[in-house]
Order: sequence, then structure tokens, then C-alpha cells
Amino acid sequence: MAELGQAAIFLSVFSCLWAMAMLWMGLRHNNYNAVLSGRNGVVGTFVLISLATGALIYGFVTDDFSMRYVVEVSSSDQPLLYKVTALWGRMSGSLLFWLWLVTLFGALVVWTNQRATDHLADYALIPISIVQLFFIILVTGLVEGVYNPLERFANGAAAADGDGMNPLLQTPSMAFHPPSLYVGFVSLTVPFAFAIGALAAGKTGSEWIFRSRRWMMASWLVLTLGITLGGNWAYRELGWGGYWAWDPVENASFMPWLLGTAYLHSVMIQEKRNMLKLWNIVLITLAFEFTLLGTFITRSGIVSSVHAFAQSDIGHYFLMFIGLSILGVIVLLAYRWNDLKSPNRLESLLSRESAFLLNNWMLVGLTLIILWGTLWPIITEGVTGEKVAVPESFFNQVVIIPGLLLLLLTGVGPITSWKKLTPSNFRRMFYKPIVLGLAGGLLAWGYLAWKGHTTAIYSALCVFAGVFVLAAISDEFYRGAKLRAKRQETTFFDGLMRLIRRNKRRYGGYIVHIGIVIVYIGILGSKGYFLLESKGLHLDESMEVGKYTLTLEDAFQEEHPNFSLGGVVFAVEKGGRTMGTMRPARGFYHKAGQGEQDTIESSIRHFGLNDLYIALGPLPENVPTHVKSGGIVSVQVYHNPLVNVVWLGVAVMVIGGIVAFCEKQVKGDV
Amino acid sequence: MNRRRFKVFCAGVIIASALVFLVVAGVKNTSMRHFTPDALIAHAQEVDDKGIQVDGLISEGTTEWNPSKFQLTFAVRDRESKAEVNVLYANRIKPDNFLDGGNVFVQGKYNAAENLIVASKLQTKCASKYEAAEGATAQAGGASEREY
Repeated sequence: MAELGQAAIFLSVFSCLWAMAMLWMGLRHNNYNAVLSGRNGVVGTFVLISLATGALIYGFVTDDFSMRYVVEVSSSDQPLLYKVTALWGRMSGSLLFWLWLVTLFGALVVWTNQRATDHLADYALIPISIVQLFFIILVTGLVEGVYNPLERFANGAAAADGDGMNPLLQTPSMAFHPPSLYVGFVSLTVPFAFAIGALAAGKTGSEWIFRSRRWMMASWLVLTLGITLGGNWAYRELGWGGYWAWDPVENASFMPWLLGTAYLHSVMIQEKRNMLKLWNIVLITLAFEFTLLGTFITRSGIVSSVHAFAQSDIGHYFLMFIGLSILGVIVLLAYRWNDLKSPNRLESLLSRESAFLLNNWMLVGLTLIILWGTLWPIITEGVTGEKVAVPESFFNQVVIIPGLLLLLLTGVGPITSWKKLTPSNFRRMFYKPIVLGLAGGLLAWGYLAWKGHTTAIYSALCVFAGVFVLAAISDEFYRGAKLRAKRQETTFFDGLMRLIRRNKRRYGGYIVHIGIVIVYIGILGSKGYFLLESKGLHLDESMEVGKYTLTLEDAFQEEHPNFSLGGVVFAVEKGGRTMGTMRPARGFYHKAGQGEQDTIESSIRHFGLNDLYIALGPLPENVPTHVKSGGIVSVQVYHNPLVNVVWLGVAVMVIGGIVAFCEKQVKGDV
Repeated sequence: MNRRRFKVFCAGVIIASALVFLVVAGVKNTSMRHFTPDALIAHAQEVDDKGIQVDGLISEGTTEWNPSKFQLTFAVRDRESKAEVNVLYANRIKPDNFLDGGNVFVQGKYNAAENLIVASKLQTKCASKYEAAEGATAQAGGASEREY
């Protein structure tokens, strides 16, 4: 099988080149048959790469330990799910998976555009094929620094068993977090390709935006989900009680999301007002390049200088590809420069256009700030020869003000009219939200002061903005629904449903905004007001965190197929009332590549809106014996308010995104 | 340039400078020099009592975890030389993947006289055998890379 997969990879080089050549020639000379043949080439590449990916998965499932990649990420006692997810456990497999997604999306573009009368999609297939070719070359194994994931050991050698996957990664959210990020990243290729295709074809109107809108929406949704799953994984697995630390890897996934969000807003200005044509192409190009840059940052090891190993060359290839593709876009932009001028101008600084523009500046500004912070060690090393880094607190400091402004804009945008906001409009739309927001902010300030947090100015501002946005958006829903209910002579709820169904994109977007407010409130609580207590405890001793009392009551040991779990049982009390038990533990893995390894298996319980989070320090493997013979257990407890509100907010965002996605392709008036 | 464009331009300049100010102030307040243990010892006096970052390897046999005091002590050694710096990490649990000879990143305040970092953040990277999946994040995961 592995040989078959390798052959498929090599063949795909040709099918990919074939697709490019045929599409280009066909489009140049209006030869429909050549275009068809090119499309077939795209589908052919997909089939070949699917074969290769299938062959690798087959290797995992059948425990083929003559394959190098299988040995490195899998082992015979690994559960089936993690054998399959081992596909993206390491670099070469991840690249193959990435490639497979690009080919899948290429094929999807072919299938969903078969009936299209223009050739926009065919133009878009060319950049998609170029991206494919780049990844195909990387996985052939011919490039120094990466080996072919289907490679076998030399001379028919085989290992007795595999090294197994890092235990930290053997958890469901880690099984789904990388692929959803990949799907999000890779699907950004499609709108980008449409933009480039449109430029190449000279169709610089809004058609390419309409045609790639659903791709963009899907990609944004999946990225949102992927980033959240990553945070969720970190929260549950890593035992440090948080979900976001501005690690370069996290930043790498967050930057394309910010740019994608900016793009989702700015295209609306192009659709409505035929402005910002150039800007939209630049934005989607940046979003695409940042997915590659993210891979470069995380893969080349230039940022997390923890890597002492001889660096893999793969980062350089990414950098080269980024450079070349940007150059290509610039050439195309210069070529079509005159077509990209907008006939319309901004009419007033107080208009929805300006709100969107400000939103764009803030999102792009944030992206640049995060990029700056992430690359700061490299910049300083390059300039002064000495590395200076910025810690987590840098990011936490600098994002607050732009972040709050963006939050405010999620409410300002929807209630500001296009073209010009008149004073009467302002009174009608802004009065109530502002008053409610002020009331909310003052209440929050009072409450926090009463609780002893005297300098909670940002918290109060965040609550003000949050309430303002909620009021503004609910008012939008309320007015619309009431009007519709009256016109159709039906109930308010029915009116609301009709309202959303009539303009899914708009109201789906508003639901996303509500989700954003919820996420902000969650971040405010969990980042701003968590408590942390650490203590060494013996059996029957207790400790206090906030209003909770935890008593170490018992110890347990469980055997699992590929690890054993040893931990302790805590009784949780609040104000004398028993709230239940919690069972934090340590996981003992015996097949961890480099020998024994034990991990934190924290216990998390929601009490209302608060989380209690217990992590245990190192323990000997037989925990019950240790504890019952008077051994000490090191316990770290976090009291995290509102963490689950973050997950809830993301869920709302995802629901809103799905609603917006359901809008059939918006037909432009172009 | 008409008046409106001029206004937009001004707004842009103001916002851009505000952002730049934020970044500059942030960098000024928080940035810390990043060393290898070897370089840290060479520059010890300059950064006495200052926040710094160090990365190196967990020196074999130096790790001590004191569960009653909730203290982790170890030495981080240079990859190329014999230089070692002591680390004290208190009131936090020893992170996962903390193995002898493994990669470690330490952030904290340096005491030159005692050659000791009182760490506020500790991050282990997977030992060379391991590589977290792309997108693996934060303190204990991190994507690391090995030579192929």
C-alpha cells in the first residue's frame, strides 16, 4: 500500500501540472475541451492524493511498523481514533493532510461550479493548483528537511512497535482541533484563489466575492471552532488553568482569523457601495499568506527558540512561497490597477461605511500588533544582535483598548445608517443603548468596588460596551420582528423567525455579534478575576479557595488499555453545603517514546458560572498506597469565573455563523 | 485631496499613531532580554534583579520537587557549554513533559549573586523525540521540531 501511495504522490505532480496547463490554455484560447480536461486534472489530483492519504491511514490501522512515520506517531495499543488522527501528529503527515484538503477543495470548486456560465471558477483553479503543487513537492520527500510520510525504513527493516503519540495529544479535542484549524486555513485558499482568478480574468467586479462568500463563511466558522478547541484543549489538558497564553502558535492561528473577520466586513462595503475593491483583494491575500506565515512561524522554530535541534528547512520553503505568491499578486494588481478604482467615495465620517472601515483598521492593526509581538525576538536579534522578547503581559496590555473599541463597533455598525448618520437617526438608534450601557457599566463598577476591586475601569468599560451592543442589536431584532409581525398579522415570534429567514446573512451576523459580547464577558471574568491556591495536603486535610472548601477524602487507581490513572477524591463544600466531589489525577503512560511519562489529568467542575479546576503535582504511581500511608499530595486549585461563558459565547457565534452561511449566494447588482 | 478624504486620512493617522504608541509603551514596559544560560552568566550584572527569559536544557539530576513547600528547583544548562543557571519555581505545579535533558523555557527575575532565576513562568517543550501537532499550544505543548 505504501508504495502505491508513494506512486500516487509522484503521479499527482503530473496531474497537477496538467490541470494548470490545460486550464490556462483553454481559458486563453477559449477552448472548452481543454478547460474540461483541466478540471479533470484537478479532480485527478484529488483522487491520487486521497489514495496516498488512504495508504498512510491503512498503514496506521494495520500497524505497519516498517513505515517510518507510523513508528513515530503510532503504536499498536493506541486506540483506533488516535491511530487515525496520528495522520496529523507530525510534520510530514500534517503536510500530506494539508495537501489532501487543498485537493479536496479544488475538486469541490470543480463540482460546485460545473454549471457556471463564466469561467471565474476555472480561473480560480489555477492558483489552487499552484498551491497544490507546492505541497506536493514538499511531501514527495525530494525536498531536504521533510521526508515522505509513506517512506519505509531502508532494507526492509521494521520496528517491533511504534513510539506512540504524545499522551497530551491523546484527547478528543486534540483529535479535532488540528484538523479544524487546517480546514479553516486551507479553505481560505479558495476565496483567495477566486480573487486572484478574478484579477487574472479581468473580472474585478464583486462577482468573485459572491462566488466565494460561502467558502469564506465556512472557513471563518471552522477557524473559530478550531481556535476554540485549541483553547479548550489547553485548558483541560495542560493543567495551568488557562486557555490562552499568546503563544506564537496560538497567535499564528489567531491572525488569519482577525484578517478573515476584517474581510467579511469590508466585502459588504464593496457590495453595497462598490468601494474598497483593492483593499478586499489585499485583505484576502493577507489572510491567505498569514496561514502560510503561521506555518512558517511554528514550523521553522525561529520564534520559540526552545528548539536546539538543527532547524528543518521547511520554514524557508514556506517563506519562499509566501514571497513568490505576494510578488505574483502585486504584479496582477499593477496590471489591473485601473479597474480597481472605485467610483464612489466615503460620504460622511459618520456612516456605516466608516464604522466598517474603523473595524477593518482595528482588526488589521491588532493583527500587526500581534505579529510584531510574535516576531519581536527575531526583529531585535536581527537589528541589535540580541534577542529581546515580550511576554504574555505585553499582549494582554496592548489588545485591551483596540479590543474594547472593536467590541463597541459590533454594536455601532449595525445601528448606523449607510452613507450618512443624521442627528435624528442618532437619537432614535443610539439613545437607548447608550443609557442602558452606562447603567450597566456603572452597576458593574459599583459591584466590583463593593467586592474590593477598586481599579476595575476596563471591566466597567467592557460591561458598558457589552450592554450597549446587546441593547443595540436586540433593538434591531425587536423593531424588525414587530414590523414584520404587524405586516403579516402574525405573532412576534413568528415575525422574528421570518425576519431572520429573510436576511440570514445580516441577522446571522448580528447573532455572531451577540456571541462576541458573551465571549468578552467570559474573558473579562476568567482573565481578570481568577483565584489560585496551592497547597500540599495529606488525607483528610482541606484547603480553601474563594468560598469553596476542598477536603482530600480518598484516593483511587484505574487501569486503562494504554495508561493508568491514579488520583484523589475531593469533597467540595460551599458555606457548609456539600457540592459534590472532584477527582483530579495523574496519568501514567508507559509507552511514551522516551520511556515513562506522567501527565496532569486535571479535574474541572462547573458550579454555576464558576469553574473549580484542580491539578495535582507529581505522585508515585500507586496513588492510594501513597496517600493512605500518609504521603503528601500537592494540589493546585483555580477558581475561574465565567470560563464556560467563553465556550457558550463561541457556541452562539457558531450558530450565528451557520445562519449567515445558509444564505444562498447573494446575487450582486454588478 | 478633498476635505473628506483629508479627514479620513487624519483619522487614519491618529489611529495608527495611537496603535504605535500602545505597542511602543507595551514593549517598553514588558520586554525582557532573552538569553542562553551561557550568555546570561556573561551578562549577569546587567540584568541583576531584572526580568529575563532563558532557554536551555533541564540539567540531568538537578530536578527537585518539594511537595510540602510546593517548590520546584532545578538547573537549566546551556546546550553548548557547561554553563548552568539555577531556577526556583514556587507555588505552581511542575509542568508536564518536564524530563531530564528536555527543553525548557524559563521566565522570571534573575538574581546575579546567587545565579538564580525566580521563575514566574515555566514552559517545557517536548523533548526532541516528540513534536506536538501543529496548533498545539501553550505552556506544555508548543510545537517543537526535530531534525529529520
